[in-house]
Amino acid sequence: MKPVLAFVQVRKTYPLSGGKGSRHALCEATFAVAAGQKIAIVGRSGSGKSTLLHLAAGIDVPTTGQVWVSGRDLGRLSEGERTLFRRHEVGLIFQFFHLLSHLSVADNVALPAMIAGENGAATQRRVEELLVRVGLADRRRDPVQKLSGGEMQRVAICRALLRRPRLLLADEPTGNLDDDNGRRVMDLLLALADDEGAALLFVTHSREFARLADQVWEIQSGQLRVPEPGA
Amino acid sequence: MIGYFACALGAHFRAGRSLFLLTIFGVALGVAAVLSIQIINRNALAAFEGSMHALSGDADLSVLGRTPSLPDSLYVRVLATPGVQAAWPLYRANVALAGKRRFYLEVIGVDLFAPLRVPWQGEGAELAGALGRPGWAAFSPALAQEQGWAAGDSVQVHRGAEAAWLRVGALVDFQKLSPLASPRMVVMDIAQAQHLLRGTGQLHQIDVVVAKGADVAAMQARLEQELGPTVRVPTPEQRVQQTAGLLSAFRLNLTALSLISLFVGLFLVYSSTQASLVRRRAEFGMLRSLGATRAQVFGLIVGEVALLGGLGVLVGLPLGYWGARANVGVVSTALSNLYLLEEIHALELPWWLFGMAALVGVGGAVAGALMPALDMCRRDTRSLLSAFTLHEKIGSLAPALGAGGLLLMAVTGVWYWTLGRDWQPAGFVLALSLLLGLPLTAPLVVKALTGWMRVRNFGLAYSLRSLGTRLQTTAFAVAALAVAVSMVVGTTLMIGSFRRTLEVWIQTTVQADVYVSPASWRGQGEGGGLDEGVVAGLATQPGVRRVDRLRGLTGYSPANQPLALAGVDMGLPSGAGRFALLQGEAGAAFAQVHRQGAVLIGETLARRQHLWQGDMLAICVPAGVRSFPIAGVYYDYNAQGGAVVMDLQTLEAHWGPGPVSSAALYLDPGLDAERVADGLRDHFGSAPLEIRSNQRLRREAMDIFDQTFAVTKLLQGISWLIAVCGIALMLLVLAREQIPELALYRALGATSRQVFLLFVGKGLGMGIFGLVLGSMGGVLLAMILIFVINRVYFGWTIQLHWPWAALATQGITILGAAVLASLYPARKASRTLASELRREDG
Repeated sequence: MKPVLAFVQVRKTYPLSGGKGSRHALCEATFAVAAGQKIAIVGRSGSGKSTLLHLAAGIDVPTTGQVWVSGRDLGRLSEGERTLFRRHEVGLIFQFFHLLSHLSVADNVALPAMIAGENGAATQRRVEELLVRVGLADRRRDPVQKLSGGEMQRVAICRALLRRPRLLLADEPTGNLDDDNGRRVMDLLLALADDEGAALLFVTHSREFARLADQVWEIQSGQLRVPEPGA
Repeated sequence: MIGYFACALGAHFRAGRSLFLLTIFGVALGVAAVLSIQIINRNALAAFEGSMHALSGDADLSVLGRTPSLPDSLYVRVLATPGVQAAWPLYRANVALAGKRRFYLEVIGVDLFAPLRVPWQGEGAELAGALGRPGWAAFSPALAQEQGWAAGDSVQVHRGAEAAWLRVGALVDFQKLSPLASPRMVVMDIAQAQHLLRGTGQLHQIDVVVAKGADVAAMQARLEQELGPTVRVPTPEQRVQQTAGLLSAFRLNLTALSLISLFVGLFLVYSSTQASLVRRRAEFGMLRSLGATRAQVFGLIVGEVALLGGLGVLVGLPLGYWGARANVGVVSTALSNLYLLEEIHALELPWWLFGMAALVGVGGAVAGALMPALDMCRRDTRSLLSAFTLHEKIGSLAPALGAGGLLLMAVTGVWYWTLGRDWQPAGFVLALSLLLGLPLTAPLVVKALTGWMRVRNFGLAYSLRSLGTRLQTTAFAVAALAVAVSMVVGTTLMIGSFRRTLEVWIQTTVQADVYVSPASWRGQGEGGGLDEGVVAGLATQPGVRRVDRLRGLTGYSPANQPLALAGVDMGLPSGAGRFALLQGEAGAAFAQVHRQGAVLIGETLARRQHLWQGDMLAICVPAGVRSFPIAGVYYDYNAQGGAVVMDLQTLEAHWGPGPVSSAALYLDPGLDAERVADGLRDHFGSAPLEIRSNQRLRREAMDIFDQTFAVTKLLQGISWLIAVCGIALMLLVLAREQIPELALYRALGATSRQVFLLFVGKGLGMGIFGLVLGSMGGVLLAMILIFVINRVYFGWTIQLHWPWAALATQGITILGAAVLASLYPARKASRTLASELRREDG
């Protein structure tokens, strides 16, 4: 079966200011993620975790190497094409939720559909379905400022799953939550990813949450260590 | 701290060039508006003042008539008055230059042997020629150069039906005595002037030098007593004051409009300062944590704003000067047409005007930034370093601010209706409360309207909805635009109503088919009369059914109020329609005027002097002071001071016989007035006549009206330009503040084009909110202008009329400008990449 996500010899470097050399954010990363697989990536701050996620989402492009998502080489796509591609194939979850205060809970979930111009009855039903699954259906009209941190992250998860992406990318999804809320959010995220059949790649500081994944990969100073199959 | 100030300023400028430049531009436009209007205002009076000082600068007093002229014999009586050291007579007459339409010169006949300082140019002006050669006259060098005249050339002029030839004998440069003196003054020997212009035995002015040590005020009283009620004896300062009084309303309105432009500009400063401070809160928190005091931080902020204000002033001062130069022509024409004053030929630019404008610019910028600066300094270090909640604060304050704004306007309205109506400046108080109260409602209006919106797609509704979350930024831009729109809509509505009122009035009163007047007559007062033969000839022209005669004079009330007197044939069949009455029943009123020596007065005079039907009007006549019963009040848009109409026979009975100033011809039905007018021009050949059809006269009247308000249109343009800059500025701020949000949209799949359109939608949204709020304010402002200010200051009744086409054009222009203003910020915003999220996440 074709992997949902594959990195082939991916390197990402950033030039330092003043033209004094460059910084290697990611070095020769090669891996593949199958459909439904859950991968946790752990590492210290500045180790390249977020860079890896941004490359996977097509937000950034590799300096060398190839990033394949759902059979398409993102490096061959223009910025606009990657943006449109991201609409359908990728769901993003952020540490700081990134919900919009001028939209209600339901509208925040529906935002990707608004952007795609597809906010019709079917979308509304999907929104309702997701909010029921995360236990926030009765809060659908509330402004997001009234939610707790855990509730906000649940809304963000719904937003990421709205358009049934094949790939879910979560950058420190529990980083802004206390332990209890973090646990609940992780459990929910993993369960939903299972239900939707989406591959999940999440970055975390927490070894405890990392162990909930199918595999734990470590990244240090841009070097990604992918365990051998069966390890 | 100064070193840090310099480094930080450079860094902030590099980081936000557009913000700096827009702020400077806003200040510059506000300063330019104020300065250009003040230059024009100052020079509106200065032209009159300059000419007066050039001619009568050596005199302590001037004996002037309250009748059209003074008898020669008065001069001897003045000389004989104890306490008079010297006196010299002047004969003054306006003439039209032959061959040029509406080109007027003022001929001044002087006693060349009087101790009058005449600034002859060149050595040994040939005064013998002045006495001996017929028509010898001295012209200004500027006029001679302009017209290409040389010594010995002959120049034909007209006064009424009379043509006279003047010979260029010498040059006289009154501008050496007073730089603003009119270059159109022509000096002749007084006897020659009287003879040539059929004014033998007449004087217009006697300048008096009081004996050394004598009290000028006492001399003034003595002369007035000695010479009787038909003269007035003002000092030069009093003459200037009287003219200033005539112009006061005109100048005050211009000043008020320019201050609105400045007010909008200051809004821009406030908004940009606030936006800048919000972004830099962490910087100030860092400075405070390193030991900087509140005063040092305050000084840093105010210093930066003062510097921006200073740069704005540097740009605004030349703009203001250029604005004045560009518009002095239209204002000058308005002054000449409406007030019969000297046109402005040169601009006086006292340094203090520029100093004042600079102070206003810098001071205004600092004032605009004061509140945000004080607010920032009051905060403790910890709150500066943590996430800012100002947006929420404005959101929660919105209802209170809105209520405050509405309360301010309501309280002022109640005050006006109960106590303020008799106070002349009350209208400006109403306008000020509107312009202060309206912006206070902006946060509430934006919050309420955006809160109601349901968003389905990433379109215009989404853009408008998103405006509600950044009230700190968006509400101020909307407020500034609302003030500008109020001014634009208010003045458009007022001008449109006035124009329509005038059109109807002209249609009602200008009923004859063709109008004939001397080329030297300027529409009211004196200016020479028509030849009797011409008047008689007009009546016999084929197709002329009836001739309506009008004789114009300038009269004075005992309180020295100038009055434009008009004697007409009130017994003319169907002549009643010439005057639309505000008060009085037409039939009875006109009969009273025709048979009983009563008068009709114009509305301007009625309102200013509180005189109405049934009251008596005192007018100085050659025989003394006479009181005339007022039979009615008619609608009148005379700006000079007041108009009075009486029967021709009444005028002749009190002022003696005299030539007709204008003849209105009624033609047989079916005749083309233009063709008849052409025929009359052919018939009368080179006679100095102005012959106009009804249509042409109406067009010219409306042209004068449009010219009068040309400066208002300029100020309208400045105000909305500033406001539109405000939209661009605020959107640039949003493009910076909302980077995480924009990056999120890109991360979720929004294209750069969608983000671009989102921002254009925000700009359009600000335009819509500003237009809605400003239109409401504009309608209220128009009511104040029409029913309060214009009525009190000018005495005009203006019927409300909705110039829908003009208002719609304004609306479309404003929205279009808002969209245009959003293009650059939208382009910047659309370049936000999804990867910007990573920087925000750390």
